[in-house]
Formats: sequence, C-alpha cells, structure tokens
Amino acid sequence: MRFGLVLCLIATLSLIAAAAGCIDSGSEKNVLIVGNHLMSDARELDQGTGTGTLITEKIIITETLVATGEDFSLKPNLAESWKMINDTTWEFKLREDVKFHNGDEMTAADVKFSIENINTKQPGRTTLIDYRDSEIVDKYTIRIRTNTMNPLLPAALHSPDTAIISPKSYDANGEYVTTIGTGPMKLASFNEQTGEIVVVRHDQWWGGTPTIEKIINRGYPNPNTRAMIIENHDVDMTFDPPYSEVARLDAIEGIDVLKFNTPRTYKLDLNFDHAPLDDLNVRKALAYAIDRQGIVDNVLYGVGSVATGPFLPTMAWANTSLVPYTYNQTLAKQYLADAGWTDTNGDGYVDKDGKKLSFKLLTYTERPGLVPMLEAISSNLKDIGIEVEEIAMETGAISPMLAEGDWDMYLIAANLAMVPDPEYVLKTWYTTDGTTNRGHYSNTEVDRIVAEGHNLITPKERYAHFRTAEGIVYDEVATINVAYYGVAIIMWDNVQGFTYDPTAHDYRLSPFMTVA
Amino acid sequence: MHHYLIKRTAYLILTLVIASMFTFVVVNATPGEPAEVLARHLYIGLEEVAPPELIAEVSERYDLNKPLLQQYLEWVGGILHGDLGHSILFNKPVDRLLMLHLPPTILLTAVAMSFATIAGLVLGIYSALHQNKISDHIIRVGTIFSVSMPGFWVAVMLILVFSIWLGLTPVSGYSGPQYIILPAIALGLHTMASIIRIMRTSMLETMDKPFVTFAKAKGLPMRRVICSHACKNAFLPVLTVIGMSFGALLAGSVVIETIFSWPGIGAMLMKAISARDLVLIESTIMVIVFMFLIVNFVIDLLYHVIDPRITYE
Repeated sequence: MRFGLVLCLIATLSLIAAAAGCIDSGSEKNVLIVGNHLMSDARELDQGTGTGTLITEKIIITETLVATGEDFSLKPNLAESWKMINDTTWEFKLREDVKFHNGDEMTAADVKFSIENINTKQPGRTTLIDYRDSEIVDKYTIRIRTNTMNPLLPAALHSPDTAIISPKSYDANGEYVTTIGTGPMKLASFNEQTGEIVVVRHDQWWGGTPTIEKIINRGYPNPNTRAMIIENHDVDMTFDPPYSEVARLDAIEGIDVLKFNTPRTYKLDLNFDHAPLDDLNVRKALAYAIDRQGIVDNVLYGVGSVATGPFLPTMAWANTSLVPYTYNQTLAKQYLADAGWTDTNGDGYVDKDGKKLSFKLLTYTERPGLVPMLEAISSNLKDIGIEVEEIAMETGAISPMLAEGDWDMYLIAANLAMVPDPEYVLKTWYTTDGTTNRGHYSNTEVDRIVAEGHNLITPKERYAHFRTAEGIVYDEVATINVAYYGVAIIMWDNVQGFTYDPTAHDYRLSPFMTVA
Repeated sequence: MHHYLIKRTAYLILTLVIASMFTFVVVNATPGEPAEVLARHLYIGLEEVAPPELIAEVSERYDLNKPLLQQYLEWVGGILHGDLGHSILFNKPVDRLLMLHLPPTILLTAVAMSFATIAGLVLGIYSALHQNKISDHIIRVGTIFSVSMPGFWVAVMLILVFSIWLGLTPVSGYSGPQYIILPAIALGLHTMASIIRIMRTSMLETMDKPFVTFAKAKGLPMRRVICSHACKNAFLPVLTVIGMSFGALLAGSVVIETIFSWPGIGAMLMKAISARDLVLIESTIMVIVFMFLIVNFVIDLLYHVIDPRITYE
C-alpha cells in the first residue's frame, strides 16, 4: 500500500514538473500581452452587432471619425473637419491618407456604409445620431442628415459603436467574415473558444508606424485571477483587480499601478414621488450625511475620487464653482430637524407625526464597488437616525422594482460621456421627460435651459449655457453624487509609453507603447 | 434485464420532460422582463433605461411576445428535431456554442472526477487500514477541511501556492495540458473528500465481514484480501457518490471555470442568465440534465458488473 502511495506521489509531482517546463515565457520584443476582464466572443468583434469598445479601444483595429482631447473636447480623427450646413445636415471632410487593413483607401462610401450598418443592426446605439440618410459629396466629403436638428452629431460620432469599417468585413450575403478597420493594429487571429485575440501592426496606418508589433488579448473574468496573473507576469498589463489588492500589487517591485477617473459616476437617484424625498431639507441632510472621502478611501481603496457635481471636474463643460457637500453629521441632523424630523421617543431613529424616517436603498451587483458602498451609505444614514433597508440584486432582478417605483434611493454607476457633451447627461438624468430620470425630478427652469441649449452649436456657447443647469440640479440635490468611478491599470515596468485616454471605457491602448 | 432497460429508458424520458417544463417555468419566472434585460445588454448598456419602443422591438424581433405555452412547445419541438435554438446574446446557434464550450467542461469534469476517485479510493483505503493511527487522523482532518472549504477559496489558494510561490503551474488559461491541473484539483477536492469518507467507512465495515476473515484464514496474502475481496465490496457506495457528484461537478464548475478562465459552459451560462438569453439557458440546462441522467444510468448498470448479486429483475 505504501508503495502505491509513493508511486502516486511521484507521478503527480512529475506531471506538475513536466507541465511547468511547458509554460512559455513570452520573450518577444514589443509584444504586449493584455489581461482583459472578459473572454470575448465573436459578436464583439463585429461592428454591426458589438459594442465597438473592444475593437476601437482594447485591440485598436478600428477608429472613429471624431476623437477627444484630455478635457473631452472634440478633435479630428478620421474626419479632418466638420461643419453644420443647415439645421439637419452636417458635412464631414475626411482624411485623404487613410488605408484599411486590406490596403483599400477609406472613402466617404465606407463611412456611409459603417454608419448605416450600425444604424440598421443596432438602432438603440444610434439614437443620439438621429440618422436620416447621408449624401456622398465627393470621395472625401460626406453629408449626414438627421431627422431633427442635432448639434450632438459630431460628439455622437466619437462613440466606438460608430467605428469605420470596410464593407469587405462582410461577404456577399452580408454575413460577418472579419473586421477590416483603419486602426494602428489589424486582426491576425481570434480563438472562438477561448476568446483570445491577436492583432498585429498595420504598417500603412495614417498616424505613423506603431512601435507595438503585436497585442495578445486574453480574458480573465475573475478580478482575483487578474491580480495573480499580473503578479506572476503571465501578462504585461491588466486592469481592475479587487480594489483591496491594489496597494499590495503597487508594492511589488517592477509593477506600476496607475489610477485614473473614468467618465462614470457613483450616484444615488432619489425617488421624488416618495415623501419626504421631495423635501429639499431632507435631501440636503442626506447629501451631508454621506462620508464620501471615507467611502473613497475604505470602499474603493483610492480607485476613484470624491464627487461634487455630476460631471468630472476635468470635463471642459464642468461647473467648477460647485461647493462640496462635505461630510457633516451635525449639519445633516440640523437639516432633518428643519424638515421636522427629530428623535422624539429616544429609539435612535428620527420621526415625524409618529412615523419613523425609513428608506429602501437599492443597488445591483454587477460592479464590485456598489454593494460595499451601499453598506457604507446605509451606515452613514443610520448615524443620523434614518432607518434603512438595503437590497442588492443583479440588474435584471432590480428592473421590475425600479419600474414599479418600489424604491427610495438607487445607487448606480452611471456613464457620463455616452457622448462627450453636457446635454446628454443633463437631458436624460434631470429633465422632466428624461429617459433615465428614474426618480421623476422636475424643474421647469432646468427643462427650459436644456431645451434652449439644444439650439446652440459652438462648444463654447453650449458649455457655458449648460453650466447653469448643472448648478441648479446640484443645489437642489436632484441626485446625490457620491464618487467618480476609477480604474486601476496594473502593468510591469517593461511596458512603456502608455497614455491614458479619459474618454475610454476603462482604458484605450496606445500604438506607441513599447515592451522590453 | 430487457424489461429493466425499457423501464429505465421510460423513466429517463419522463425525467427529461419534467425537467424541460421545470427549467422553462423557472427561467421564465425569474424576475426581470427578458425583452427589457436583453435590450439593455444588447443595445444600450447595463445602466441605461430601455425605452418602451425598444423593448417592443426586441420582443418582436426575438419572438418573446408569443404565449409561453407556444414558446415552450416550439422550443421542445425544435429539440426533438435536433435544433437547440439560436442564442440571441451570442448571435449563434446553441449547438455551435455547446460544441465550443461543452468539451472543455466535460474534460475538466472528467479529469476532476478521475482525480477525486483515484485519490479518494487510495486515501480512503489507506485510512481504513491504518485506523486510529496518526496517518488516519491526518487524512480525516484533511477530509473535513476539504469538505468545508469553499471551492473559490481553495482555487485561489492553489494558484497562490503552486503558481505564484512555487512557479510550478500556470495561473489561469486554456493553452495546454498543464493548465488543467489546478482547476481539476480545485473542482475535485470536495468529491475526493466525500469519497475518502465513504470508502473508509465502507472499508471498515467490509473488513469485519465473515468472508474477509475467511479469506485471511485461508492464508491469502493481505494484498489479495484487500484488492480482490474487501475493496470490490466496499466500492458500491462510492459508485453512488460518483454518480451524484458528476452532475454537481458538471453544473457547479461555474466558479472554478471563471477563476481559471476555463472556456467551458459555466461562463457562457452566467452571461446567458444575466442577459436572459432564455433559449440558450434552457437548452444548456437540458443538455446538462441529459448528461447527468446518462451517467447515472451507466452507473446503475455498473452495479451489476461490480456485484453480480445485484439483478435488475
């Protein structure tokens, strides 16, 4: 028996040793191995059905007509310039030196094809374009017509969903074959089973010769796995390990941790249909009761930052004169008392007319920071005498509760730059008919400012105009902004030349990175 | 025997029919309107609000507004004609997705099961033969530990020790045989512990039986007494555990597959559930149920092979 045991042990150890010998070290130069957060499926590579984020930002094989600068202001990309011809027509002049990966030149016809491709197949993703049709003026000029006047069109064409592809990405029957874009990298292989994507340098790229030779994109859906895979140097770069692991990884010699804000904010939507949330004093009490710095330090471990207004202060249109609702329990209790809520029976909860102040707080589980953040917020609210019921479920299960109005506050990490322009957020979150105005906040002044702002064309005018609306919704505590969403990018120091694109979904790779 | 086979096949079909109804009802009763959830996953983003027109369009496009009974009959009718349906989320036929992702899951389950069975039997027998000695105590403590520890924790600890500290195995992925070692151990550990406990108890009982005493008295070498007489008889309860565990391993590998980035049906099923891709969820569950039933059917037949006293009349 003992002999059998020893034999088993030897066999196991030799199997492990043999296996260890097979692990490749990946020593090629300028080959970047990235640990992405999802195991991609073929759908995501197809511009017509995917989100565009993967192909435009993560493997950089496609590009959009419009790009943005660090302050989210628009700048030329595949389009050199654009202007409004009349209320419903924009004209875009295209670069004349752009080649697709198959060597074909990019022309206005390809742009028309790409926009119509996404517009037909994914109408929900092109609502902001409000596309009617387009006219090819010449080889490098296209006029895009919208159903109604749309000053947001150039900003909407910054969305990765509107990436430009060659019609040859599909066969004669319209079936997807491969993605032929104009980006600095081109698709070399895609493993349908594991989701591994390999892209190689596109030598004819209009932006210069990329230094990176090859990018291997692998999916590691578990955050703990991403922390270990980078620690083991199986990948050169990854992002969003568990927030609690960030400091430990940063302490490892040779590993750099970069933390940035991404255009997304953790905010509490408030249900204005449920009294007393329609009382400004109660809302201010809530705003002052939340320890935002504590949440950023202890829940997000520094991945993110304290929020004031709905927009990131770095956005060109942000109203930077807003005064923060700094954590102050005394002031919060004072606002509650002003609204008539005090603890009359000494049970630790404030009450009015014999009724305890009690709220139902919802959030969803798909983003790691939300559930612990909800717990921290609940604890802050209990500290000022508010009874709290917490519910956290996946978004699919939360939807019916939201639709039926069975909630008081909803903690959500909402996207701030679907289009790099203030109108989208202010209109959808805060106007009376706003599509994501879940809590039914309503202010005729805000409605008027947003409606008037729609007619302004130049960014300068628009930004100044919308700042007023941002100030009003902030002062009225239409939503409680808790923290700006952050991303932690982890890379080994053999990777150089990474630049952060604040408009990207988490990160965008740069073609001018090097890997030693 | 023929009578038994016919009866078992009838039970198998009945179980499949009941399972299909149950799956369909549970999947459709999950909170969240499928068209609304799909609209957000496919078209506008998780955190946005799907406008009613878009929900209506998604319902129309994917036939989600048909009566439930009609949807069920069409789905079952499709399966009977060999068509498992089309995944809305992945935009692919379900059978194509299963062809891509079922083999890695079966491979992982089979390796984990083999590891659990071999290690479980060896350690269980060893433990029984060294009852109340130090090695027995160590194995028993190890068994309790393995049963109590959650799979995801074991998986992370295995990576930490064998990949990060010792550098013997890769952390995570699916690029060669070495990648299966840790996930198979992590997945099989719980079953291994169950097998050790059952085998030990069963072995102890068997070793007290008169036929073992008789074999010993005949002067047979101890190795033959254990291998030919005791083990074979002690093995029957273990076979039951193996059959029951197979289903648990097959469907329960979701967490392990995610941690080890294993491209099995676990990750696919999770995506399908969160996006309410009904047909993909239902068909995948039916395939798992079918495999589970087949494995247990085979195991029932194996009882007779191992112990000819068991008959099926």
